[in-house]
Amino acid sequence: MTQRTQKYLFLHHSQAGSTPPSDQKPSPEQMQAMLAKWNAWKDKFKDNIVDWGDKLKPGGKVVAGSAVSDGPFVEAKEIIGGFMIVSAASFEEAVVIAQEMPTGPGSRIEIREMAGAKM
Amino acid sequence: MTVEAESATDLVEHYFRHEYGRLVAQLANKIGLHHIELVEDAVQSALAAALDAWVAQGLPRDPGAWLYRVASNQLIGDLRRDSNRARILESAHHEEGEHDMVADAAFAGEVRDDLLRMLFVCCDDAIPRESRIVLALKILCGFSTAEIAHALFTTEANVHKRLQRGRGTLREASSDLVPPSLDAMRARLSSVHEVLYLLFNEGYLSTHAESAIRRELCDEAIRLGTLLAEHSVGAVPETYALLALMHFHAARLAARTDGTGGLLLLEEQDRGRWDQAQMRLGAAWLARSAEGDRFSRYHAEAGIAAEHCFAPSFRETRWKEIAKLYALLDRVAPSPLHALNRAVAVAEWQGPDEAIALLEGMTPPTWLERSYLWDAVLADLYRRAGHSSEFQRHRERALSAAPSDAIGDLLARRLAG
Repeated sequence: MTQRTQKYLFLHHSQAGSTPPSDQKPSPEQMQAMLAKWNAWKDKFKDNIVDWGDKLKPGGKVVAGSAVSDGPFVEAKEIIGGFMIVSAASFEEAVVIAQEMPTGPGSRIEIREMAGAKM
Repeated sequence: MTVEAESATDLVEHYFRHEYGRLVAQLANKIGLHHIELVEDAVQSALAAALDAWVAQGLPRDPGAWLYRVASNQLIGDLRRDSNRARILESAHHEEGEHDMVADAAFAGEVRDDLLRMLFVCCDDAIPRESRIVLALKILCGFSTAEIAHALFTTEANVHKRLQRGRGTLREASSDLVPPSLDAMRARLSSVHEVLYLLFNEGYLSTHAESAIRRELCDEAIRLGTLLAEHSVGAVPETYALLALMHFHAARLAARTDGTGGLLLLEEQDRGRWDQAQMRLGAAWLARSAEGDRFSRYHAEAGIAAEHCFAPSFRETRWKEIAKLYALLDRVAPSPLHALNRAVAVAEWQGPDEAIALLEGMTPPTWLERSYLWDAVLADLYRRAGHSSEFQRHRERALSAAPSDAIGDLLARRLAG
């Protein structure tokens, strides 16, 4: 069995303000198909998933010392919509795991290796 | 079995789509049809939330109750300004949200009634005819605009327009539309039959759409028809005859095409591929449809379909019975198409000359005279009667009028010179 010592943070980027109009949203039938695909992915990589993470709500705050502004950075074209922590033997393996994620069109996964300061 | 062990593969086929119909019917019946769009949005959001939550945490113990709770919570938020409506929903929410909804027999009956009431709402006379079928597909069957456009071989813009018109009528007339009384439902029953019949035929007769979506349309028509037959208002011989007709046709659905999607003639079909279970269901409904003294067009059509289904071969088909049933059909629902079909049966029963005499005695309307059907039947009859010039003339006209490649191929094979 492959030794999995490295942890990777998956950041799910999506287009800012890209909520599709109601008739472009996935149909119930498509959602059920997506659920099945996600479950298959989750099952395939269950040993790699350290923390399923969460989706992130839009909006937020940016704190810089005493200065607090509304975030995320307004000029950003993409926003981070979710995160997950995955373990893998190498960056290459982490890339494969991300590539097989059944994400929709227009979304991208940023992979960052965690430094392991707490490990 | 632990909750974690379950996966989405445990959900039955079309679970999300059918839950969409169930939730919209229940919530719209509670808060009123003038909020139909709000209800549809809330249900759509609940399904999207389910997708996220069920992947992350596995299926809840009672997915149906979970969806109802999330959708009604969203509606309560949306309706907060209208405090009276929200209170109705909140109290209903407490009654139903707390226990195992799906296992509750009384609840199952209530869901059936809600769905059925919605079917009658979609078939209201006030709603434009062309909007009824798309409303039923959207609201009751949970298809998206794109899926409906694909199934009905039209554009999304067209489906959208028909939906908007239908929803507009629902909003305007909702005071007398919800909930329809039993008398109002009875008065609307024939319109419901018509919509189910159209829905089925869109699936059965379409030669454009791919077979999977056609099959789904037929299955939905049968599902809603079965629901109708279980309700006191819908439990009448016409409903049973309609169901018999749909099951008999569904039995032959898969055998109508070859491996590449080309159409097969009745005499070319492999009768071994006809679905025996569907045929038995058709026979059972046909027997029930004979209960009353009413003879509807659905009775005639179910009888014809039964003759075809139970004939051991094309040659051994009881063409005399079929010719008689077409004559009956033409009497209860006059159409030159029925006369044309009767002529086809007469040709098998008595010979081509008798059939030609029948058709020469009638004046077809322009739409039929211009369609490929009229010429295709005449070409075939003249050839069998040995009139080659008449045969060639009608053959050429039929081929040039073929509306699709599949039908063109079928004609070329059937009328090969």
